[in-house]
This record gives sequence, structure tokens and C-alpha cells, in this order.
Amino acid sequence: MPTVVLMDASLSMTRPVSLEGSEEFQRKNLAVHGLTMLFEHMATNYRLEFTALVVFSSLWELMVPFTRDYNTLQEALNNLEDYDKTCLESALQGVSNIVQQEWGSTCPCQVVLVTDGALGIGRGSLRHSLATLKQRGDDKKFPLPFPFPSKLYIMCISNAEELQATDAMDNLEQLLTLSGGEGQIFTMDGPLCLKSVQAMFGKLIDQAYTPFHAVLRCGNLASDVQVFPRPEPVLLDEEVDPVPKAVLTELEIVGFIEIGDIASPPVLSRHLVLPIAVNKEADEVGAGTADDMEEDTSTNQMAGKSPNFCVLLHGSLKVEGMVALVQLGPDWYGMLYSQADSKKKSNLMMSLFEPGPEPLPWLGKISQLGPISDALENPYGEDDSKSPFPVQPKSKRSYAQNVTVWIKASGLQTDVQKILRNARKLPEKTQTFYKELNRLRKAALAFGFWELLKCVAELLERECTLLPDSAHPDAAFQLSHAAQQLRLASTGDSQYAAFEHNITPMLTDFSGGGGGADRM
Amino acid sequence: MKTFSISHKTAFVVDHCPYMAESSRQQIECDMLTKSRGQGVIPLAPVSKSLWTCAVECSMEYLRILYDIYPARKLVNYIVSDSEFHILNSWRQEDQNIQELMGALAAVGPPNPREDPECCSILHGLVAAVESLCKITEYQHESRTTLMDMADRVANRGRIICLTNAKSDTHVRMLEDCVLETIQEQNKLAAGSDRLMPIQQCELVLVHIYPQGDDTLVSDRPKKEISSVLSSEVHSVRAGRHLASKLNVLVQQHFDLASTTITNIPMKPTLNVCEQEEQHANTSANYDVELLHHRDAHMEFIKSGDLHMAGSTSKDSGLKETVTLKWCTPRTNSVELHYCTGAFRISPVDVNSRPSSCLTNFLLNGRSVLLEQPRKSGSKVISHMLSCHGGEIFLHMLNSTRSTLEDPPSISEGCGGRVTDYRITDFGEFMRENRLTPFPDMPVDAAGRAPFERAKAQLERHTRYWPMIISQTTIFNMQAVVPLANLIVKDSMTEDDLLTCQKTVYNLVDMERKNDPLPISTVGSRGKGPKRDEQYRIMWNELETLVKTHVGTSERHQQVLECISACRSKPPEEEERKKRGRKREDKEDKTEKNGKESEEKGWTPDSERLKGAIEREKEEQSESEVIKDSPDSPEPFNKKPRLASEEILSLEKSKGPVSLLSLWTSRITQANSRKHQEFAGRVNSVNNKAELYQHLKDENGMDVHENGKATR
Repeated sequence: MPTVVLMDASLSMTRPVSLEGSEEFQRKNLAVHGLTMLFEHMATNYRLEFTALVVFSSLWELMVPFTRDYNTLQEALNNLEDYDKTCLESALQGVSNIVQQEWGSTCPCQVVLVTDGALGIGRGSLRHSLATLKQRGDDKKFPLPFPFPSKLYIMCISNAEELQATDAMDNLEQLLTLSGGEGQIFTMDGPLCLKSVQAMFGKLIDQAYTPFHAVLRCGNLASDVQVFPRPEPVLLDEEVDPVPKAVLTELEIVGFIEIGDIASPPVLSRHLVLPIAVNKEADEVGAGTADDMEEDTSTNQMAGKSPNFCVLLHGSLKVEGMVALVQLGPDWYGMLYSQADSKKKSNLMMSLFEPGPEPLPWLGKISQLGPISDALENPYGEDDSKSPFPVQPKSKRSYAQNVTVWIKASGLQTDVQKILRNARKLPEKTQTFYKELNRLRKAALAFGFWELLKCVAELLERECTLLPDSAHPDAAFQLSHAAQQLRLASTGDSQYAAFEHNITPMLTDFSGGGGGADRM
Repeated sequence: MKTFSISHKTAFVVDHCPYMAESSRQQIECDMLTKSRGQGVIPLAPVSKSLWTCAVECSMEYLRILYDIYPARKLVNYIVSDSEFHILNSWRQEDQNIQELMGALAAVGPPNPREDPECCSILHGLVAAVESLCKITEYQHESRTTLMDMADRVANRGRIICLTNAKSDTHVRMLEDCVLETIQEQNKLAAGSDRLMPIQQCELVLVHIYPQGDDTLVSDRPKKEISSVLSSEVHSVRAGRHLASKLNVLVQQHFDLASTTITNIPMKPTLNVCEQEEQHANTSANYDVELLHHRDAHMEFIKSGDLHMAGSTSKDSGLKETVTLKWCTPRTNSVELHYCTGAFRISPVDVNSRPSSCLTNFLLNGRSVLLEQPRKSGSKVISHMLSCHGGEIFLHMLNSTRSTLEDPPSISEGCGGRVTDYRITDFGEFMRENRLTPFPDMPVDAAGRAPFERAKAQLERHTRYWPMIISQTTIFNMQAVVPLANLIVKDSMTEDDLLTCQKTVYNLVDMERKNDPLPISTVGSRGKGPKRDEQYRIMWNELETLVKTHVGTSERHQQVLECISACRSKPPEEEERKKRGRKREDKEDKTEKNGKESEEKGWTPDSERLKGAIEREKEEQSESEVIKDSPDSPEPFNKKPRLASEEILSLEKSKGPVSLLSLWTSRITQANSRKHQEFAGRVNSVNNKAELYQHLKDENGMDVHENGKATR
């Protein structure tokens, strides 16, 4: 989930912070300090995150396009200049454009807005933007909510009391609601100082940038992993099931399926599954957390040399062309597979399916997937020539079952002509002739279209009179028999107009001997 | 998305009163071929459908599209109204199919024009529809049951689509009032019942059908809230194709559908599986096919406001827009895993047209088509894929934007990335054995476990002892162990399985007796690894470890372990004694040892030492199998080869006191032997004569190569 840091570079950010200490800080310095802390955290613990830096005042500028190079971000941050007044609306529009250009409109994104809570005055101020929300045309819409799924974190370099003294807090809250409600407003507790800005950004890190650690299990084989980007909770049906579902930290493999059988399934999101070395000697070393240890190169080398289940799994999935079905929570599943990028590098990847007992119709209910050893005979065949997938649905779709549709005249005409075409090739086409005739009969009865039955009967009778002398004698018998049956059906007489009833070929002296001609 | 939205329940009410028997006055020419036929044939008069036929076939088309795209959870109750109401199906899922309804409609037949119009009314049907909407569906029931005390979260909403011929706007208002009144009555009734639910929201869609050429007596009216429960809209439509396109628009509105036109479909003769007889000369042209599907398949376009390619309005649905996607020459890529962000069932707008059926048949045969989004810039972006799964065609939405996961660290750079001898092939085999298959008819087994729980249990059993790298294991590198290793993980063993396991063990004993080499890994130890007897000890220990993890599974599993314990050479107390002996030895030799050269003593010039070595060797011989060390610390191979000691032994035996020459010779031989690996034939020889082609003698046909699949 990429991050855009939207930094307020208006003049008000240069307001000094009253401190009893010797050095004088501007609010901007505090903001830079907080962001430095965020960047440092990401560089060590969340380094695959793409981050862009945008500064804004009355104009906005993309200082650093999306990158994983946190040094560049830091450098840009250190060289910020001061500009004029705050104009949030155009900046948000800018963020919207930048994100869509880079990631399209389906990729979720986090926006970290850093501001002092002085939201501008007059035209272009947030107050003005919000006041004129409803008076806009389609071309001048407010940029929130963003077209992509987003979370908006508002970092206020000011404390709550200060914001509440004006309408700033109300405006920011309204902004958050407009963005879709995902996100949070952070304010500083107590005096404005380095410590409180650290505390505030610490809260942001806890909330949005803590790595997701889990244990990947396959029976008794297991590996500690980081899942990146971290999977977000999913809301299914806000009415029946209003609690968002979160991925468990215990990822349990259920079994394996061929790639061809899982067949490019739709997924909610994709995540890298990176094996991590959880430091078992953490107590001996001291306060070092697992994350700190990742930095330790010697530990990394050690970890590189001890066998890890993820590497084994990845290798075999890649070689065999299979995926592992993994349980993410109650009635929630995903798949693990090997994903190769263009440059020979490959990785263990996890895709999350839509939560629910049956995420993919062609697999059926996941809970009903069992080991092949339970089957009477191997459903894949002894030589892997078969597959139990895809699971066939109970009923066929219309395009697979030769339905009759006469909405357009052409549909009806085609069906009538099919019958006539076969009528002229009697008795060779006896079977097809009656099949088409019965299809038409059934539809005409269902639609209450008795007039058509009479019409086709007439057509058949006329065909009968037009038969050439060379025609097989059976043809005439079948045609008049069929015509007669249609006429009887068109009376609606229950004896002849039953839907399930089929007109069968007339048994004649000729057809009896020429039974072989009915082959299709 | 709400499960129980208005579209969960749709009641179709179709007017069956005498006036519906009136002709739509839309004429259809059935007699088409007269021109090419002999002259003088008078063409038959065209036929025309009745209002009833128009209503029924359009409603069937509505249902066809609905059931194609939503095979479940979107339910329809079909009601016909004349002098009374006829309910043709129920809310039950198995009643939701067109074939059954067609049969029921055939039984109803066309309206009887001679019936007394005074007794007939659409009202009977509307009242029945409201009553029906109060009836609980199986999905509502299931949801209420699972939610227990939160059952009130399950909503009851529905839609009534009424196809009728109304007299006037006043008549329409009367119908609306009647529906509202019935809802209020029924809701009171439903409040006191378990099987009924009050209607929270109802949408009435009145479609007034009138014959072509007539003026309408009823005016169109957009959706209007009549009360908090009921909203109503009126559509006044001419029968025939106007009605068909109206219902097509409605089904799209009601079920959040959108339209995509696949363009540039090449219809080569090879594609022409359908209607070959109709094949014309110009089949190589490119065709368009319009499909309906859930509108989320256009999410990317909608969100980005990028719907500019939807310039052309659909020919068939008239009002709705369609997005054009271009056919890309298909690639065979069933083994490719596309990053797909959504898959949506489709329904062709014109299902029986030749282009449609050619496309659907092509897909139903198991092929996939990638679809390209035409862009102004001319750059090619593959945005969708059409693919069939189990007889259902899906429009897959493919991700075409930059990935946030690009350029990740390679797996070889992370934990365990440096290890090179993973048992990749073995784990591949393991995965094949643990593939899944559906058990739709066996929800739970005798122990109450669902199939997927059994799958997990199997994974647990199969991994109780599963070394991940080749150098960690001996037994899994031995073909000879395979039968036992495959059987011991089973949940239950048959008598035959037990026999096979026992045979495997006997076979191993036999190998040991014959001193067959084992594929012991030499990784981590210098030289060539442990001695042969040591190798077998490691192998037996590992086999025991494997079997011990399964010992609790059943009596027979236990018996396998017993078999192994019995067959392993030495009785435990002897082993114990030996261990003590070794400790003593270790002390004795401490001065000589410097870690890596633990076995050097055998060739020290000191005759005392040599004697000691020979004695030890003798001891080893007499006890046949000797435990030297734990398997965790395999000895380095830098020790005297067996041949040398045997020679010395025989020397000593035959000649009594050892001559200086023999001492010297043995020392030189030993020193030399350390520099090369002894020829396998000589190692296994008897009196320096190796028997060739031993395996031919083996009556049971066991191949010597079975000793180790990893020959190197």
C-alpha cells in the first residue's frame, strides 16, 4: 500500500514553538523530525513500501516520486523551503492525480497529511472548500473521496486544544469523513516539543506501519514470515456481518492444487511472504527485538544458512506448477504460489480470496476439499491425466443449453428454417427434424404462441405438396404426421399440448426398414 | 455489499386476463424461403405474438440473464394472474430455473379470450406477490439461524415486477394503493409468525404493455416513494422489441449489470462449430458480441472516469452504454497465473446469434481470450480475460497498472536462501500426495471432521518427521525405505501394509548383513563420512525416529516399531555396555586425540598401540555392530579402512606374534589407504576376491541399486 506524505510548507509552519530550552524550533522542524522518524522506521522495518513526498502551500509540488529510497526522501525533507498560504484542496487533487497515474484507481493508498492546523483563509482554504462542497459541478468536484481506496492520516503539529479553539478540528474531521472515514487525526499531547512529536508519529507507526508477522504452517513444518504489504481487515456485508475480518497470524496450509485447476482466480490483494529469523536468543542479547536483529548482518547470514520451510515450499511450488491453499481465518482462504518477476528473481507470494466458504465457484466449498487419499480412486488418475476440477455447477448456463429465444424475429425465423431445412432432407434427417420440431413446439407452448404451431404446420403441409417425385416416400408421411401433431398441440388440448410430450417419428413401413438412416 | 438487498427477492406478476390475448400487431414473417423456391407458391401470412406471448418471453429473457449471472441468492417467484392467482414456482433455489418455469407456463397456456373479464384482475397476482415476499427464503432462514439473537439484521426487501395492460393512470394508482394496503396487512400478520417476515422495503415496477399502433393510456413515471415501505415506477411500453429492450434495461438496473462489447472477434471457419450449415462465404469477417455482467468488471474504468471508449451505445439494449474491448489472439496459458482482481459471470445479450454462440462455444471448449482496452494513445493494455470454468464463462478483470510489489528481494537472499540441498523433488511429491479433491457428498466423516480438516490432519501426519534438506536425512535418500515411509504416515494400516513395512525392515537388515553402502551425507564432515556400521546405526536411529512419531496411531504402527527394534542388531544392554567401554577408551586416548584425528591411533608405530587397535577391532567384530557415537556428531572418515584391519587381524590370527615386516607393511598400507577411497569391490571382498554381478544371484529380484537412489 503506497504512501504519499503531504507536507504543509506554508508560512504558518515556520511559527516558532515556545520552548524553555535554548534552541528555538519552528513547527516545520518538529514536522521534519517526526517524518524523519517515520522514514527511519520504514527504511528498517517496512522497506518495501513505496513513498512519495508532496509539499504544498497555495501550489503543490511532487518533491520525490514514489520510491523505496528513504535517503532521497530524507534529503528532500531536509531541504524544504517555505512558501505562502495553505490551500489543501488543490494539494489533495494533486495527490489524487499522482496516485492514479502511478498505481491506477484500484490500488489502496495511504496519505499522511502533515500540517499545523492553520488551514488557510479565504478562497482555497479548507473552510471555503467545505462550505462550497454542494455548489460544484461535475468538473470541479472536491478530490475526496479519492477514486482509489485510501486511508487518510492527519498529523497535526499542534495540540487538540489549539485546534478546537478554531474550527480547524471540525474541518479536519469533516475532511476525514469525506475521505471515507478510513484513517485518523493525530494531535500532539502537551507542549509542542520533540518528545511529543515523536510520541505522535510513534502512534502513527503503530497504527499503520507495523509489519505483519505470522507463522506459516504446513502440518508440523513451519516458518516465521512477514507478510507485506500487511493484509488489511475486510468488511463483507455491513448489514449481516458488520465486523471486519482480519487475517490470522497463524497461516495454515490446507493442501495443494495445480495452477491450471485454480485458473487465475480473482483475489482481493497480493502479498509477499518473506521468511524472517525470529531471534530466539533475544533475551541474551538484551532489548533487541526481532526487527532490530534483521539489521544484524551476521544474524542474517546465519539465517541464510539454516533451512527454512518457505524456501522449500517456494522451490517445490515453482517446480511443480502448483499453489498451496492456505487458511487465513474462519471461512477465509488464500493461495501461496511462486511469483517470478522479469529478472529471474522469484518469490513466495500469497493472494487473498474473498472471505466466504466458497470463494471460487470452480473449486466448490473449500471445507469440502479433502485429501485425495480419501477418494476411492485417485481423482487425478494414476498418470495425472485427469482432474477433479473444475467443479461443475448444478445447472447449465443459457449459452450452454440451447435455449429458445424469439425476442428478435430473426431468432424465430432461424428456428423455423432449421426445421424446413431438415424437412427437405427426410428421411435421412428424421432425428434432427423431430428434435428441432420438438424444441419449437415446447417453446411455443410455454410462450402461449399457438399461432406459430399452426403456421409451422401449414409450412410442413406445403413442403409435403412440394416434394419432388424423387423424394423418399417416407418423407411425405413424416411431414404430414408432424403437421398433424402440431395442429393438435395448437388446440391446447391437454392430451396433445402437454409440455413434456414429444412428437415422435411416425413408424412407417419405410422407416422401419430404414432405421439405419436415422443415424446422426 | 448487502446480501439481502431488494434484488434478493423478485416477484414477477404477469397478467393472464382475456385482453392479454390481444395481438401485439408486430408481424413476423415465417415463410422466408419462397423466393428461392419454385414459383407460384403463395407465401403464408405472417404470424404475430399476443401481448401475453410478448410478456412471457421477455420475462423469460430477464430470467435467463439473471440466472446466467446469479445462479444463486437472487430468487424469483413467478405468478400469473387471471380470475385467480397461479404461483408457478417457489423461492427455493432448486425452483430457480427456466426449464421448470417453461413447463409451468405451458400448463397455464395463453389467456382465454372468452373468459369473463369482470372476474379477472391483475390484483389477485399482486396480492399473492406481496404475500410471497413475506415468505422467508432458505437464505434468510439460514442467516437468521446462524445470527441467533442478531437475527433482526436479516432484512426482508423485495421487488415486484408487474407486466400488465392497465386501463389508465387512475387504474395504476389503484394498483399501487392496493399493493401498499396489502403490505401493511401482511406485515401485521408476519410480525406474529416465524416463517414470515415483514417487508421492510418493496419496489413496485409496473410495466404497461400495449399493442403496436395504439396510443398509450398510461403515462411513464419515474420512481416515486409512495410510503416508507413502498416505492413505485411505471413504464409504458409497446409490445414486441420495445418491451424486450425495456426489460433488458431493467434487469441491468435491478442487478447492477453493465455491458461489454467484444469487438474484432475473428470468425474463421475453424471457429464455426455451430450451425455449420448456415456458413456463408464471408465468415472471415470480424464480429462483435455484446455481453452483460456485473458492473464491477468496469470498476477501473468507472473510477478513473475513463469511460471514453464507451462512445457507441449498444445496439441491442438501446439505452445503456457498453464498453468496447478488443479480442486479442488467444495464447494458450492455462498454467499461467494472472493477477486477477475480479471474475464475473457473463450472459450474452443475443444468446443464439451466430457470433455469440461461436464465442461462447469457443470458450466452453476450455480456451481463454485476453481482451485489450482500446486506448487513444494506441498503447496496448490487456485489461480483461474471458475464461470458462466448469461450463460457466467468467469475465476476469486483470490488473494492468504498476505493481506495488515490484522488485522484491529474491527468496534466495532471505532466510534459508543460502541452503542449496532442499528436498525440492521430495516435497513436490509430498504436495502431489496432498492435493485436494472435492467431497461434496461427504460433509463430515465418522469422527465429525469436514474434508478440509482431514486434509490438514493428513498434512500433520505426513510432516511429523520430514527433514527439509538432503544432508539431514539418510532414510529418505534410500529407495529401500520408501514403502515403509509411505505407509507409516497413513491414518490406518491394513495387515498387508504392516507386512510391507516388515518386509522393508527385513530388507534393510539384509542390506546391512551384505554391508551395502548407504547414501549418508558427507556434508559438514571432513572426508568421506562415517564408517559403514556407523552409517547403519544412523539409518536405524532415523528410521526409529520416523516410526516413533506414528506409534500412537494404531496397534499396527506400534508393531512396525517393534519389528525395527527387534531387527536392529544388538540387544540394548550390550549397547549400554559398549557405550561405557567407549567412554573408557576415550579417556585412554585423550592424549593422542586432537579433535579431528580421533582414530589415528590405529597406525601409530608403537606396537603396543597397534595391538590395542587390533584388539579393539576384534571386539568390534565379535559384537558385529558397534555404536561409536551419537548420530548428531558423525565421525570424520579419516580412519583406517576396514580392509586394513581385517588384514592385520588375519595376520595376527595365522602367525601368532607379528613380524617387523608385517608391522611395517600394515602401517604403510594403512597410511596409503587413507589417501584414497578403497575400491568398493575390495571392501566387500572375501579373501581379497570380490564376487561380480552379485545382483544376478538375487532370487527375489531385488536390485542392488535399490540400496540408494542417490548414487552419488
